[in-house]
Amino acid sequence: MSEATPETEARRLATEARDRVRFEEDALGLADQVYRVARHLVGSREEAEDLMQETYARAFRSWRSFRPGTNLRAWLLRILTNLNIDRGRRLQRTPGLEPLEEGDYFLYNRLEESTPDAADEERVVERLSQDSVVSALSAVPHDFRDVVVLVDIGDFSYADAAQILDIPIGTVMSRLHRGRRVLKQQLAQEAVGAA
Amino acid sequence: MTSFADDPCAKCEELLQPFLDRELNEAERAQAEAHLSLCSYCRKRYRFEAHLRRFVRQAVVEEMTPELKVRLSELRTPLL
Repeated sequence: MSEATPETEARRLATEARDRVRFEEDALGLADQVYRVARHLVGSREEAEDLMQETYARAFRSWRSFRPGTNLRAWLLRILTNLNIDRGRRLQRTPGLEPLEEGDYFLYNRLEESTPDAADEERVVERLSQDSVVSALSAVPHDFRDVVVLVDIGDFSYADAAQILDIPIGTVMSRLHRGRRVLKQQLAQEAVGAA
Repeated sequence: MTSFADDPCAKCEELLQPFLDRELNEAERAQAEAHLSLCSYCRKRYRFEAHLRRFVRQAVVEEMTPELKVRLSELRTPLL
Protein backbone atom coordinates (compact mmCIF):
# COMPACT_ATOMS: atom_id res chain seq x y z
CA MET A 1 0.00 0.00 0.00
CA SER A 2 1.41 3.36 -0.97
CA GLU A 3 1.52 5.96 1.73
CA ALA A 4 -0.31 9.22 1.09
CA THR A 5 2.04 12.13 0.64
CA PRO A 6 1.09 15.45 2.21
CA GLU A 7 0.24 16.68 -1.29
CA THR A 8 -2.15 13.83 -2.12
CA GLU A 9 -3.74 14.11 1.31
CA ALA A 10 -4.24 17.84 0.79
CA ARG A 11 -5.81 17.15 -2.61
CA ARG A 12 -8.12 14.53 -1.10
CA LEU A 13 -9.25 16.94 1.61
CA ALA A 14 -9.83 19.69 -0.94
CA THR A 15 -11.92 17.36 -3.12
CA GLU A 16 -13.93 16.21 -0.11
CA ALA A 17 -14.55 19.79 0.99
CA ARG A 18 -15.75 20.67 -2.49
CA ASP A 19 -18.06 17.63 -2.64
CA ARG A 20 -19.47 18.44 0.77
CA VAL A 21 -20.20 22.06 -0.16
CA ARG A 22 -21.88 20.91 -3.36
CA PHE A 23 -23.95 18.35 -1.46
CA GLU A 24 -25.06 20.92 1.10
CA GLU A 25 -25.99 23.42 -1.62
CA ASP A 26 -27.98 20.76 -3.49
CA ALA A 27 -29.79 19.69 -0.32
CA LEU A 28 -30.63 23.29 0.61
CA GLY A 29 -31.87 23.85 -2.93
CA LEU A 30 -34.47 21.15 -2.34
CA ALA A 31 -35.58 22.46 1.07
CA ASP A 32 -38.75 24.15 -0.23
CA GLN A 33 -39.92 20.93 -1.86
CA VAL A 34 -39.01 18.83 1.18
CA TYR A 35 -40.84 21.23 3.48
CA ARG A 36 -44.05 21.13 1.42
CA VAL A 37 -44.18 17.38 2.01
CA ALA A 38 -42.94 17.53 5.62
CA ARG A 39 -45.58 20.06 6.57
CA HIS A 40 -48.33 17.53 5.91
CA LEU A 41 -46.62 14.54 7.48
CA VAL A 42 -46.94 16.24 10.88
CA GLY A 43 -49.68 18.15 12.63
CA SER A 44 -48.26 21.65 12.98
CA ARG A 45 -45.89 24.12 11.40
CA GLU A 46 -43.70 24.07 14.53
CA GLU A 47 -43.28 20.29 14.33
CA ALA A 48 -42.49 20.53 10.61
CA GLU A 49 -39.86 23.20 11.27
CA ASP A 50 -38.21 21.15 14.04
CA LEU A 51 -38.24 18.10 11.83
CA MET A 52 -36.67 20.02 8.94
CA GLN A 53 -33.84 21.24 11.15
CA GLU A 54 -33.18 17.76 12.56
CA THR A 55 -33.30 16.32 9.04
CA TYR A 56 -30.84 18.79 7.58
CA ALA A 57 -28.51 18.50 10.58
CA ARG A 58 -28.46 14.73 10.17
CA ALA A 59 -28.15 14.91 6.38
CA PHE A 60 -25.14 17.23 6.63
CA ARG A 61 -23.51 14.91 9.19
CA SER A 62 -24.05 11.77 7.13
CA TRP A 63 -23.62 13.26 3.66
CA ARG A 64 -21.06 10.58 2.73
CA SER A 65 -23.78 7.92 2.81
CA PHE A 66 -25.66 9.62 -0.04
CA ARG A 67 -24.88 8.00 -3.38
CA PRO A 68 -24.43 10.72 -6.00
CA GLY A 69 -26.74 10.23 -8.96
CA THR A 70 -29.59 8.86 -6.85
CA ASN A 71 -32.67 10.83 -5.79
CA LEU A 72 -31.52 13.36 -3.18
CA ARG A 73 -35.06 14.57 -2.42
CA ALA A 74 -36.14 10.99 -1.66
CA TRP A 75 -33.00 10.48 0.46
CA LEU A 76 -33.80 13.59 2.53
CA LEU A 77 -37.41 12.51 3.00
CA ARG A 78 -36.27 9.05 4.07
CA ILE A 79 -34.26 10.70 6.87
CA LEU A 80 -37.21 12.94 7.71
CA THR A 81 -39.76 10.13 7.95
CA ASN A 82 -37.36 8.04 10.08
CA LEU A 83 -36.87 10.97 12.45
CA ASN A 84 -40.62 11.47 12.55
CA ILE A 85 -41.05 7.85 13.61
CA ASP A 86 -38.30 8.26 16.23
CA ARG A 87 -40.23 11.17 17.67
CA GLY A 88 -42.93 8.74 18.73
CA ARG A 89 -45.23 9.29 15.79
CA ARG A 90 -46.25 5.61 15.85
CA LEU A 91 -47.62 5.94 19.35
CA GLN A 92 -50.53 7.81 17.90
CA ARG A 93 -53.66 6.00 16.91
CA THR A 94 -53.37 3.39 14.20
CA PRO A 95 -55.75 3.59 11.27
CA GLY A 96 -59.10 1.90 11.57
CA LEU A 97 -59.66 -0.87 9.09
CA GLU A 98 -63.40 -0.69 8.70
CA PRO A 99 -64.41 -1.31 5.09
CA LEU A 100 -64.95 1.66 2.79
CA GLU A 101 -67.86 0.84 0.57
CA GLU A 102 -67.68 3.92 -1.62
CA GLY A 103 -65.95 3.67 -4.98
CA ASP A 104 -63.35 5.97 -6.50
CA TYR A 105 -66.01 8.21 -8.03
CA PHE A 106 -67.76 8.83 -4.72
CA LEU A 107 -66.69 12.47 -4.38
CA TYR A 108 -67.49 13.31 -7.99
CA ASN A 109 -70.95 11.79 -7.66
CA ARG A 110 -71.69 13.66 -4.42
CA LEU A 111 -70.50 17.00 -5.74
CA GLU A 112 -72.22 16.59 -9.06
CA GLU A 113 -75.52 15.77 -7.34
CA SER A 114 -75.29 18.99 -5.38
CA THR A 115 -74.07 21.07 -8.36
CA PRO A 116 -76.56 20.13 -11.05
CA ASP A 117 -75.88 23.25 -13.12
CA ALA A 118 -72.10 22.86 -13.18
CA ALA A 119 -70.95 23.20 -16.76
CA ASP A 120 -67.73 21.24 -16.41
CA GLU A 121 -65.66 19.18 -14.04
CA GLU A 122 -63.50 22.15 -13.04
CA ARG A 123 -66.58 23.89 -11.67
CA VAL A 124 -67.45 20.78 -9.69
CA VAL A 125 -63.99 20.83 -8.06
CA GLU A 126 -64.44 24.53 -7.25
CA ARG A 127 -67.13 23.62 -4.75
CA LEU A 128 -64.27 22.61 -2.48
CA SER A 129 -62.48 25.28 -0.47
CA GLN A 130 -58.77 25.42 0.24
CA ASP A 131 -59.43 25.14 3.98
CA SER A 132 -61.60 22.08 3.49
CA VAL A 133 -58.77 20.32 1.66
CA VAL A 134 -56.25 21.10 4.41
CA SER A 135 -58.59 19.89 7.13
CA ALA A 136 -59.67 16.79 5.15
CA LEU A 137 -56.03 15.81 4.57
CA SER A 138 -55.17 16.19 8.24
CA ALA A 139 -58.09 13.89 9.11
CA VAL A 140 -56.66 11.01 7.05
CA PRO A 141 -54.95 8.49 9.41
CA HIS A 142 -51.14 8.81 9.45
CA ASP A 143 -50.11 5.65 7.67
CA PHE A 144 -52.41 6.39 4.74
CA ARG A 145 -51.70 10.10 4.76
CA ASP A 146 -47.91 9.59 4.51
CA VAL A 147 -48.36 7.82 1.20
CA VAL A 148 -50.95 10.28 -0.13
CA VAL A 149 -48.68 13.21 0.80
CA LEU A 150 -45.61 11.66 -0.84
CA VAL A 151 -47.36 10.70 -4.08
CA ASP A 152 -50.01 13.40 -4.50
CA ILE A 153 -48.16 16.37 -3.04
CA GLY A 154 -44.53 15.30 -3.31
CA ASP A 155 -45.06 13.77 -6.77
CA PHE A 156 -42.97 10.73 -5.86
CA SER A 157 -43.33 7.46 -7.76
CA TYR A 158 -44.70 4.42 -5.95
CA ALA A 159 -41.15 2.99 -5.89
CA ASP A 160 -39.70 6.15 -4.30
CA ALA A 161 -42.51 6.28 -1.72
CA ALA A 162 -41.84 2.61 -0.87
CA GLN A 163 -38.16 3.36 -0.36
CA ILE A 164 -38.78 6.49 1.71
CA LEU A 165 -41.22 4.73 4.04
CA ASP A 166 -39.37 1.39 3.95
CA ILE A 167 -42.50 -0.55 3.03
CA PRO A 168 -43.26 -2.85 0.06
CA ILE A 169 -44.59 -1.23 -3.11
CA GLY A 170 -47.82 -3.23 -2.78
CA THR A 171 -48.38 -1.60 0.61
CA VAL A 172 -47.83 1.83 -0.97
CA MET A 173 -50.51 1.02 -3.53
CA SER A 174 -53.04 -0.29 -1.03
CA ARG A 175 -52.48 2.59 1.42
CA LEU A 176 -52.69 5.10 -1.40
CA HIS A 177 -55.93 3.59 -2.61
CA ARG A 178 -57.45 3.65 0.84
CA GLY A 179 -55.98 7.02 1.82
CA ARG A 180 -57.43 8.71 -1.26
CA ARG A 181 -60.85 7.23 -0.55
CA VAL A 182 -60.74 8.45 3.05
CA LEU A 183 -59.66 11.88 1.79
CA LYS A 184 -62.60 11.96 -0.62
CA GLN A 185 -65.03 10.97 2.10
CA GLN A 186 -63.68 13.77 4.29
CA LEU A 187 -63.93 16.24 1.41
CA ALA A 188 -67.50 15.18 0.69
CA GLN A 189 -68.40 15.71 4.33
CA GLU A 190 -66.80 19.14 4.32
CA ALA A 191 -68.38 20.17 1.04
CA VAL A 192 -71.88 18.74 1.09
CA GLY A 193 -72.23 17.20 4.54
CA ALA A 194 -72.37 13.70 3.10
CA ALA A 195 -72.49 10.91 5.66
CA MET B 1 -59.61 -8.34 -11.67
CA THR B 2 -62.08 -6.80 -14.06
CA SER B 3 -61.13 -6.73 -17.74
CA PHE B 4 -61.95 -4.18 -20.43
CA ALA B 5 -63.89 -6.90 -22.27
CA ASP B 6 -66.12 -7.70 -19.25
CA ASP B 7 -66.84 -4.21 -17.96
CA PRO B 8 -64.86 -1.42 -19.63
CA CYS B 9 -66.00 1.39 -17.28
CA ALA B 10 -65.23 -0.63 -14.15
CA LYS B 11 -61.79 -1.47 -15.58
CA CYS B 12 -61.24 2.19 -16.42
CA GLU B 13 -62.15 3.19 -12.83
CA GLU B 14 -59.64 0.62 -11.56
CA LEU B 15 -56.86 2.02 -13.74
CA LEU B 16 -57.67 5.71 -13.36
CA GLN B 17 -55.56 6.50 -10.30
CA PRO B 18 -52.42 4.65 -11.47
CA PHE B 19 -53.00 6.27 -14.89
CA LEU B 20 -52.90 9.73 -13.27
CA ASP B 21 -49.87 8.61 -11.25
CA ARG B 22 -48.07 7.63 -14.50
CA GLU B 23 -47.62 4.14 -13.09
CA LEU B 24 -49.38 2.04 -15.76
CA ASN B 25 -47.43 -0.07 -18.21
CA GLU B 26 -47.59 0.79 -21.90
CA ALA B 27 -50.38 -1.68 -22.73
CA GLU B 28 -52.60 -0.62 -19.83
CA ARG B 29 -52.07 3.05 -20.59
CA ALA B 30 -53.04 2.53 -24.24
CA GLN B 31 -56.19 0.63 -23.18
CA ALA B 32 -57.19 3.34 -20.72
CA GLU B 33 -56.59 6.09 -23.29
CA ALA B 34 -58.58 4.23 -25.93
CA HIS B 35 -61.50 3.79 -23.55
CA LEU B 36 -61.39 7.42 -22.37
CA SER B 37 -61.49 8.64 -25.96
CA LEU B 38 -64.75 6.73 -26.51
CA CYS B 39 -66.58 7.02 -23.19
CA SER B 40 -67.89 10.38 -22.00
CA TYR B 41 -68.97 8.93 -18.62
CA CYS B 42 -65.37 7.94 -17.79
CA ARG B 43 -63.87 11.02 -19.47
CA LYS B 44 -65.87 13.35 -17.21
CA ARG B 45 -64.68 11.46 -14.17
CA TYR B 46 -61.09 11.40 -15.43
CA ARG B 47 -61.16 15.18 -15.87
CA PHE B 48 -62.63 15.63 -12.40
CA GLU B 49 -59.94 13.41 -10.82
CA ALA B 50 -57.18 15.28 -12.67
CA HIS B 51 -58.57 18.68 -11.55
CA LEU B 52 -59.01 17.38 -8.01
CA ARG B 53 -55.39 16.21 -7.91
CA ARG B 54 -54.13 19.65 -8.99
CA PHE B 55 -56.53 21.43 -6.65
CA VAL B 56 -55.42 19.39 -3.62
CA ARG B 57 -51.75 19.93 -4.45
CA GLN B 58 -52.20 23.70 -4.74
CA ALA B 59 -54.56 24.01 -1.76
CA VAL B 60 -52.17 22.50 0.75
CA VAL B 61 -49.01 24.33 -0.30
CA GLU B 62 -47.46 26.05 2.67
CA GLU B 63 -44.09 27.66 2.14
CA MET B 64 -41.18 27.72 4.54
CA THR B 65 -40.72 30.87 6.56
CA PRO B 66 -37.61 32.96 5.74
CA GLU B 67 -36.46 32.30 9.33
CA LEU B 68 -36.44 28.56 8.76
CA LYS B 69 -34.48 29.01 5.54
CA VAL B 70 -31.86 30.96 7.47
CA ARG B 71 -31.72 28.35 10.22
CA LEU B 72 -31.20 25.56 7.66
CA SER B 73 -28.45 27.53 5.92
CA GLU B 74 -26.72 27.99 9.25
CA LEU B 75 -26.46 24.21 9.59
CA ARG B 76 -23.96 24.13 6.73
CA THR B 77 -20.41 23.11 7.54
CA PRO B 78 -18.33 26.26 8.06
CA LEU B 79 -15.71 26.82 5.40
CA LEU B 80 -12.25 26.96 6.88
